[in-house]
Amino acid sequence: MKLPLLPTTMVGSYSMPGWLERLKTDYFARRISRNDLDDIHDTVVKAAIKDQEIAGLDIVTDGELRRDNMIDYFLERLPGVQIDRSSKKFYYDFYDSEVVGKIPMASLGLVQDFKFLLEYTERVPKICITGPHSLTKRIRNKYYPNEAALATDIARVMNMELKELVKAGARMIQIDEPYYSGFPEDLDWGVGVLNILVDGVDAKIAVHICYGNRYGKPSWEGSYRYLFPRILDAKIQQLSLEFARRGGEDLELFREFNVPFELGAGVIDVKTHLAETPDIVAQRIRKVLEFVPADRVVILPDCGLFHVPRDTAFAKLRAMVQGAHIVRKEIGDRSD
Amino acid sequence: MILHLNHTRRESAAPTAADVVNAVLALLAEKDIEPAQFARLQIYLDWLQYKENFREPVTVTLPAENRGGRFPSEIRVDSRRVEPGAFLGTLRKAICSAKAAERDSAGRIYLEEFHSFRESIAWQFNRLYWQRLREWEAASGKPYEQALPGGKSDGHNPEAIADSVAEFWTLLKDLEARNQLPPEVFLLEIGVGMGTRARMWLDRFAQLDRERGTNFYPRLRFLLGDYSLSTLERSRSTVKEHLELCSSIALDALDPIKTLSFLRHKILYVHSTNTYDNLPDEEVVWRGNRIYWVWARAYLTGGDAARIATLCGVQPADLARTIHRLLDVGPECLPDRGKGMLFWMEVWKALRTEERLVDTLEMPDVPYPAGLSATQLEDILQDAPAELRFHLSTGALESFRNTLPLLHPRGYLQVQDIFVTDLHEYTMGFYGPGKLDGSIVNWVNGALLREVAERSGYNIHFVPFKYRPDSKTSILYTTQRE
Repeated sequence: MKLPLLPTTMVGSYSMPGWLERLKTDYFARRISRNDLDDIHDTVVKAAIKDQEIAGLDIVTDGELRRDNMIDYFLERLPGVQIDRSSKKFYYDFYDSEVVGKIPMASLGLVQDFKFLLEYTERVPKICITGPHSLTKRIRNKYYPNEAALATDIARVMNMELKELVKAGARMIQIDEPYYSGFPEDLDWGVGVLNILVDGVDAKIAVHICYGNRYGKPSWEGSYRYLFPRILDAKIQQLSLEFARRGGEDLELFREFNVPFELGAGVIDVKTHLAETPDIVAQRIRKVLEFVPADRVVILPDCGLFHVPRDTAFAKLRAMVQGAHIVRKEIGDRSD
Repeated sequence: MILHLNHTRRESAAPTAADVVNAVLALLAEKDIEPAQFARLQIYLDWLQYKENFREPVTVTLPAENRGGRFPSEIRVDSRRVEPGAFLGTLRKAICSAKAAERDSAGRIYLEEFHSFRESIAWQFNRLYWQRLREWEAASGKPYEQALPGGKSDGHNPEAIADSVAEFWTLLKDLEARNQLPPEVFLLEIGVGMGTRARMWLDRFAQLDRERGTNFYPRLRFLLGDYSLSTLERSRSTVKEHLELCSSIALDALDPIKTLSFLRHKILYVHSTNTYDNLPDEEVVWRGNRIYWVWARAYLTGGDAARIATLCGVQPADLARTIHRLLDVGPECLPDRGKGMLFWMEVWKALRTEERLVDTLEMPDVPYPAGLSATQLEDILQDAPAELRFHLSTGALESFRNTLPLLHPRGYLQVQDIFVTDLHEYTMGFYGPGKLDGSIVNWVNGALLREVAERSGYNIHFVPFKYRPDSKTSILYTTQRE
């Protein structure tokens, strides 16, 4: 499927309904069965896909609604990571987890999620996974000499999974690494690990780096300047950054460092529950185009819409799509 | 019958459990209570934290489903205020009053209809007090701080302020080391009062900054927030040495983000002292896995009404109307302002509330405070005692929820106040509402705050105020929840 100029997509997650939060928590309290929860997840994922299609997104995800949070879904699947399953009070809490031995190679079972997405959409599918640096930050390391070594082994396991995803038809894969912003001092080894993760993976690789969205609030503040120039060594094709909430000051970095990647430009603020208008989105896109040519820009929200109420999340996506239409027209693109 | 002893005070716990049993059995024998009602009767011996409050020493609460019925099903006794040996007579009188009140024939002057306490006229008195504080102080002959335990505000404790400043300075130093120190460092004081704490805090910060040669002081942007413009004006003269760093902002403590949304995620330190305990509040009862709302209506007893009317020269028939006028215009409600002040103080002292329990199922649209739903509250209460009456701390919860979005990712909120930190504590004491001078005071339900905080991405911690012996104050502070 050919994508238009300024294609639109989500960063990954879609609005998590309050009733689903309660059902997920009920599962942890053993009030509903795994089968029931799986069935519920299938249903909400279909609804999330449909919402994205109706909103008009060009690239769709599964909304990540099967996931409790961006960490646990992966740690549960990583062999060798020991999880304390009693450590959750609320489904969104992080598990206490630790590594006490070498992480063995094994499948993580993400292909099944991707196939489900593929089955229910004819749009371009994108699968998003949390990167090794962020996962490492949530694991108590009792085996490896340092975090870089742990992250390297996680990257090796996940690299195999990414290749399985490609075999299943994945052409767009997004790696989420928000913890870079909290631990900029790790970036040197973080990029090395990232390159192990994507080595030999025949798909367009995007890396999403924001300032955190835990509980719908930023976890850190600062400037993306810390990424440069080290991030330029990453073997990726797209860098996805947040600009709606923080303003476009850091766009200058793309010019200053002559960045070769596509820019996934965050033009929707996911930390407010007020939907942008298409005009505001168009303004933000125009600002981006002052620094990066349109054929290297993808339009998306600052981060996942997990914490935004469903009606607002949908309105934000609609405004984002309409804002992109406005700018496409202005620059003479006729793909609409 | 079930008798609940809801306090741990022994010394003045009159009546004793034996007095209660004897009195109830006597009333049973006299048919003031019937056997069927006796079986369902629940009696609570409370110890109200504040001797001045809105209850009679013995109150009879009629559940909504018994409206029109003859007998009470819940009796609450303020053990602190019942005279030893007088319980039987007081209980009989309370039961008769409750029955009469059902027929509106108790001689009481009602000032409103039944509704949740947060809607009560009592809060209009509270507002009037803060609006006309100087006049109240002049009439009573003592500044409001003298009404506080210890006679002064814990917010002005120099040691506590020095520790607070040192902690904040350390945060700025750390941000600087990480290249994350914002060019403007925003701080907010909610309920700035006379500005004394703000001045002491800034004085101390300037001194520390000088001593350590860090030059953070010029970056500070100190926001003085208060809902009263006249209070803000007074506070400006208090902080006159630091005026270049200060902005005065008329702020509703219930909704700081409404005024300050342009500072979303930008404020590094928010502080308040003795604000939460004075925000509109209400109570609920958890019984039999159901939530009941405590509805209240304010009244004056017939005796108090007659006494006040005579004392202040008001026609008895005009009493209720004059009270409403008082709340609109203040002590000028009477031609003689001095009498008006006397009227205000006497009515406030005499103000009582009748209570009624309303099943939430009867009121599906009942508004819960922001951040708390009925389902969430029920989940929280699964681990609570089976029979519990507690504060919802509506105003405190709203203020808290509407302050958190202002916090910078490394920012924190500090609240000096009186907190119940565990729901089980409500079975060992009754923490308001009380009357503190002309205002209302309630302990704040810290256990609920903790739950709401966790869902908003914060952990909260309560540290006893160590700077004054026997202080009941704690300091709540937030940390990021991972």
